[in-house]
Amino acid sequence: MIETTTAPFPTIRVRPWLGVLATLSSVIATFMALVWAPTDAVQGDVYRILYVHVPLAWLAYLAFFVVFIASLGWLLTKRPWFDALAVASAEVGVLFTGMFIVAGSIWAKPTWGVWWTWDPRLVTTAVMFMMYVGYLLLRSLSTDFSRRATRAAVLGVIAVIDIPIVHLSVLWMNSLHQLPTVMRAGGSPSIDAAMGTTLLVSVVAFTLVYLAFLAERMSIELDRQRRMFEARA
Amino acid sequence: MIENLGFIVAAYVLVWGGLAVYVISLIRRRGS
Repeated sequence: MIETTTAPFPTIRVRPWLGVLATLSSVIATFMALVWAPTDAVQGDVYRILYVHVPLAWLAYLAFFVVFIASLGWLLTKRPWFDALAVASAEVGVLFTGMFIVAGSIWAKPTWGVWWTWDPRLVTTAVMFMMYVGYLLLRSLSTDFSRRATRAAVLGVIAVIDIPIVHLSVLWMNSLHQLPTVMRAGGSPSIDAAMGTTLLVSVVAFTLVYLAFLAERMSIELDRQRRMFEARA
Repeated sequence: MIENLGFIVAAYVLVWGGLAVYVISLIRRRGS
């Protein structure tokens, strides 16, 4: 039984504010990353690309974890709200993954000498990207709402397994990609204070961007669901 | 002179440009 009354997205009133906050924090984060943060002693200035690469990667992990939670929510309750959350988060996650792969590739060329290499972290990331592109494509295979949501939810639950594999791949295998600097087990972050502050501000900015995109995309999906249920009634 | 300036600019333009395109896509879908 599907609950056909889609309640308004709870954060609908904060959506404009989320957009404003995301824009302001992004401007501050970009200034800190490009101007305020010190030059790295080893990599020089090119490391500044990591202030967009790293937060986008972490937010992509979060986005796909939200897909997992929302998919479980749909499978257990059959509330369309969870399906809207899952598709919105998957779409933003795919966008962020594409962005951090591009930014990482541009950083890799002057640092490693290549745009791409078959490194465990890069390969597992590419697999994660393809799995969630597949998730979005799978949703277009059926016009039946319930069937589409259930198929997508099953994939959303299974695909989450790749997130720890991506993160831990640099520890499990010999990798060109650097080891975790901040999110590492058994130790405090090994990063300069000014660089750490800049990274923190960038993470906050991209978190607000993620939330703003998620709220807007989810609102569009809920409108679509409402029109579909009204047409059926 | 900032080293690898072209790479830094390219990365930021592509990331923020990509996000801006997504914003436009959301606005268009909202309007349709």
